[in-house]
Amino acid sequence: MISAFGDLNLNYLVSVTFVSLYVSTVAVAISTLISLPVSIGVAFGNFPGKRLLTTVINTGMGFPSVVVGLVVLLTLSNAGPLGELQLLFTPQAMIISQTILATPVVLSVSISAVESVGGDLRDAAFAAGGTNTDVGLLVLREARYGIVTAVLAGYGRAISEVGSVLIVGGNIVYPPEQTSFTRTLTTAVTVEARRGNYETGLALGAVLLVLVLVVNALGGRIRDGGRA
Amino acid sequence: MSHKENTTGRLRLVADGVSHGFDGDSVLEDVSLTVDPGDVLAIVGPSGTGKTTLLRLLALFSRPDDGRVALAEGESVDTVSTELTPDHVADARTNGHGDVGARTNGGGGDGDARDAWSLSDDERLRLRRRIGLVAQDRSLFSASVGYNAAYGLGVRRSRAARLRSSLRRTVGRWSPPAAALSALETVGMAEMVDKHADSLSSGEAQRVGVARALAVDPDVLLLDEPTSNLDPRNTAVIEDAMREAKARGIGVALATHDMDQARRVADKTAVVLGGTCIEYGPTERVFESPRDDRARQFVAGELVY
Repeated sequence: MISAFGDLNLNYLVSVTFVSLYVSTVAVAISTLISLPVSIGVAFGNFPGKRLLTTVINTGMGFPSVVVGLVVLLTLSNAGPLGELQLLFTPQAMIISQTILATPVVLSVSISAVESVGGDLRDAAFAAGGTNTDVGLLVLREARYGIVTAVLAGYGRAISEVGSVLIVGGNIVYPPEQTSFTRTLTTAVTVEARRGNYETGLALGAVLLVLVLVVNALGGRIRDGGRA
Repeated sequence: MSHKENTTGRLRLVADGVSHGFDGDSVLEDVSLTVDPGDVLAIVGPSGTGKTTLLRLLALFSRPDDGRVALAEGESVDTVSTELTPDHVADARTNGHGDVGARTNGGGGDGDARDAWSLSDDERLRLRRRIGLVAQDRSLFSASVGYNAAYGLGVRRSRAARLRSSLRRTVGRWSPPAAALSALETVGMAEMVDKHADSLSSGEAQRVGVARALAVDPDVLLLDEPTSNLDPRNTAVIEDAMREAKARGIGVALATHDMDQARRVADKTAVVLGGTCIEYGPTERVFESPRDDRARQFVAGELVY
């Protein structure tokens, strides 16, 4: 392990880790902001096509990330509808594709968490003088353990994903210090694997694992802290 | 009977010819009754007779299919005479309908009452916040007793104040406001303020539910079979809380199938059977000399279905 790390430029390791964290964290934050209100609407709303929408969301959990990456690539490429934004091969493009990948996961788990909050509690919040917004907030509060799980699941999907960030990010590092621009821990592993630097690849993988572990430990703390 | 010293400024809750159904099935038909300030009204009837639906309509949860629910200032006609005649109901009806759209404040100042559902959402929210409803089943939030008791106060405060409260709770430096504590005091739960609601017995949970409704000092307190699953001691505490509310000028409506409880606490009793109010008047009169034959059988404990 130590020799594996020894091959790695510290600046490279830190910048790759930072890009991974930055892209996934922003993507999951956006996913969560989208998912919380939508999960309330889907769980408690009665509208035509609700079943279809739920099926689509659940299918979204299995979206192949390379396909999402390809679609985002085509959308952001110069000839694509959003080509003018010049976002292709930037961290922003990676955030877009990871948001698309993480949202169905966060949303789907949030919906089941929110649905499990009983109607009696919603009525109690309403009877105590709450507005519909108050009732929604109360429901999110009651569903908080499930929602933390949803966010962690989404984070796991985003940070371990390689296909779409490779396609839309371009796996770019800048010389001379090997500073990552769009290279994440996962895409760095593919580079090392292709070069035959298996030990370095494993070392990067270990860093990734530790990150996921830390994020989950933090999430677990938030979840259990709320129990008091 | 009714003590009226503390009822100044309190609103009375009027249901007038209320009918309601679900999916085409009629649950309530033409129910008219009034919850007066400082009065306890028992709504008695067998299970499944529409008591819960009636209370939810009274709490302005949903709009009745027909008839109106209103909150109004001033003495109601039927408390003054203590006897309800069809004329009074008719009076109330013409008053209400003739008044629709004429005033902008919720409820009139001279005893008339505007249909709560003809008001704007904001005005109706203001009226709704004068009414407390305690459901039959345990419905405490997964939080401390204090949080539960303070919930109604919280939603009435500004966004900034609420944000401060939740920050304080996060760092463990929050304590419930005085009104919540005194409501908990009323039901003998003040010492359990820091306990988690999930750890309470059903009796304790019901008492906290009553405290949550009382903390905001409502004008009307609606209780849906609050003691149906409780032991005598918890029942006594809840009945005491009803008397305390009454003494503060709050109008209490109590749905129950416990005839003895109705006799113990209620000034007026309405007997609801099959979705219609077949008997309505002073409790003593309803129990001693009911006019309706099925009401007589019901209050005597016979089965009437």
